[in-house]
Amino acid sequence: MLRVAFRLHASRPRPLRCFHWTALRLAQSDILGSLDKSPIVQAVSRRMQRRTELQSQLSETLNTPEDKENMKQLSLMEPLRNAWEEWKETRNLLKETTVLLEDPDPSMRSLAGEEYTELVSKLSVMAQEKFPSLLVPPSETSHLSAMLEIKAGVGGSEAALFVGNMIRMYTAVAGHLGWKAAVTASNTTENGGMKDAMLEVKGQKAYDTLRWESGVHRVQRVPATEGSGRVHTSTVSVLVLPLEEDNGNEVKDDLFTMDEVRIEVMRSRGAGGQHVNKTESAVRLTHIPTGITVSMQDERSQHQNRRKAFMVLRARLMDRKLTQDTVDRRDLRRSLVKSADRSEKVRTYNYTQDRVTDHRLGMSIMNIDSVMDGEALQELLTELGRKYQAELLAEAAES
Amino acid sequence: MLNTVQCRHYLAQLTRVLGAQSAKLELAWILQSIHHRQPPDRHLALSSMVARRVSGEPLQYILGTQPFGSLQLLTRPPVLIPRPETEDWTIRLSEYVKPTLEAPIKLLDLCTGSGCIPLLLCKLWPAGTVRTTGVDISSDAIQLAEDNAKHCGILSTSDVTPSATASAHNTFNAVLADMRDPVFVSTMKSSGEFSPFHVITSNPPYIPKDEYEQLPPSVKDYEDIRALLGDPDMYPNDADISHLSPTPRSDVGRGLSFYHDIARLAHKQQGLLAEDGVVAVEVGKGQADDVTAIFKEEGNLQHTAIWKDPWDVERVVVASPTRNVRLGL
Repeated sequence: MLRVAFRLHASRPRPLRCFHWTALRLAQSDILGSLDKSPIVQAVSRRMQRRTELQSQLSETLNTPEDKENMKQLSLMEPLRNAWEEWKETRNLLKETTVLLEDPDPSMRSLAGEEYTELVSKLSVMAQEKFPSLLVPPSETSHLSAMLEIKAGVGGSEAALFVGNMIRMYTAVAGHLGWKAAVTASNTTENGGMKDAMLEVKGQKAYDTLRWESGVHRVQRVPATEGSGRVHTSTVSVLVLPLEEDNGNEVKDDLFTMDEVRIEVMRSRGAGGQHVNKTESAVRLTHIPTGITVSMQDERSQHQNRRKAFMVLRARLMDRKLTQDTVDRRDLRRSLVKSADRSEKVRTYNYTQDRVTDHRLGMSIMNIDSVMDGEALQELLTELGRKYQAELLAEAAES
Repeated sequence: MLNTVQCRHYLAQLTRVLGAQSAKLELAWILQSIHHRQPPDRHLALSSMVARRVSGEPLQYILGTQPFGSLQLLTRPPVLIPRPETEDWTIRLSEYVKPTLEAPIKLLDLCTGSGCIPLLLCKLWPAGTVRTTGVDISSDAIQLAEDNAKHCGILSTSDVTPSATASAHNTFNAVLADMRDPVFVSTMKSSGEFSPFHVITSNPPYIPKDEYEQLPPSVKDYEDIRALLGDPDMYPNDADISHLSPTPRSDVGRGLSFYHDIARLAHKQQGLLAEDGVVAVEVGKGQADDVTAIFKEEGNLQHTAIWKDPWDVERVVVASPTRNVRLGL
């Protein structure tokens, strides 16, 4: 059955079109001018200037510590430099071809026109795709899976029911995107909802794609138990943490050492051992330097609970590290990262109006079921990813 | 999805017996175990499992399994259900003792019960580095231990032909025998070419008689008295289990009998334990010092250490005739 999602969204910049060669003649200076003035091209040009500066700073001997650092920077700039050289060449060709547009020979003019169109197209592709891909470094987190911590917020049992809806939504979208989703811990309520739950989503790019789900999700609907048909508003908070491949080791050297972790078991077992056969395997970890605590009791053995708890601890510490790295990088104007302070409302699910609105994108999707089934959610995730890339590019272009 | 009203009803029943927190967890585990079954069957199973739990039967017997380290073990009455304290020190032992392919070891586990200790060690240690033997007086235990070995994919020595890559597997053999019987040592040595064991482990019965009487029903009414009562000379019906190596009078009623037996077995003159071998035994609360003394005096195992469990109780006595730096002996 086809579900149609009706989209209302802000306009996006369109790629440069190719003009007819006669019109080109008139517009040619404009094209070159606008390409040269584009922020991307200017950013690359500035980088090239820096490159020249770095080169001039190299000493005669090439083996001082500054030299080593500068040469490292220069080698990192090589791909961009090659692209820039290609840009300059293409630009020169374009200039030459422009002259030929005025050639007395009609067949010459026609050929020149075709070539002109091609060259302009090539330049615009470089400006729209090649340069951005080189200016923005590739994601260092693309290999990471995701751990979603979903908690009922305001709204009591209604919110708890919506936690269940969200688990199903993320599980569905995981299926569409080729990831494996599994609930690894949960606290159920009497009416079949969940006070909180942890959903593991395993697969490449799971963290990169889902990280913008962090924040407060608001739901407006008539609760199933509500007699009078009054609409209630409740909230659910989502926190997406990065998760690395579980190779069974408890310690990831750069994140923490075992000395920094206090392991507590939750209840006294009296004489314990043979005297007692109750399962009491709950565990609490405290990472002393940061104060982060993780409690785990869902598994039937101490060992399993410990393992899970360490996994969550690692995810929280890695998230902290990544967030810290981002904050360190002078990015306060980046709205996506700002809203990931996790207490901001990121999305509203309005059942009575059958609409989902993402507040960061300023984008709404009709047919709420298409979102809750995971299908239309993919669109939102794609748009959020694009927005993030655009913000990264803007930051790179300014530096 | 199961009927919420029913779930609430079962939850209330379990809460009365277990308290709110345990009730929630245990109901979730019960539901998980039957979640793949079809509705009429599922509802019947749920109803019967809750009823059994409410009547005091241990959850592990109802579910038939208990996770132990990275293993999923089968559980079956009356064999002792593996405890988290045992899980903890078995894993710890695996980190301190490091057998290698060049220097593989033999391990003897006394009172093996479900086989949990040797089976987990077979799993944790590299393939081909250990051959384990589990001994128990109960045929129920031996049967369960063998079933567990199969369930966990651990072979016995008879499964591994000498021509094949015998070195590529850790093995477990279950032996029905009475470790307190004077002929026990010669029984152990009789099989083929005997070499002493490098490690002897045990979680022997250690509950003193008066404490046994006070045990909660879920333990006392369901698990084998022979796995729990550390005073075997004081069985309620003095059946054919009476012994052959009487406990020193000073220790009668203190749950320490088996430690006297183990100390004697580990003594150099028996040739059962290697000269630099290690003995690791689980003890009951408050028994560590006494067991240490018994090992020193009767086993001549002069180098000892005590390990605590996650609940801060002295739970394991580790001992050796020789110094062992890695184990801190």
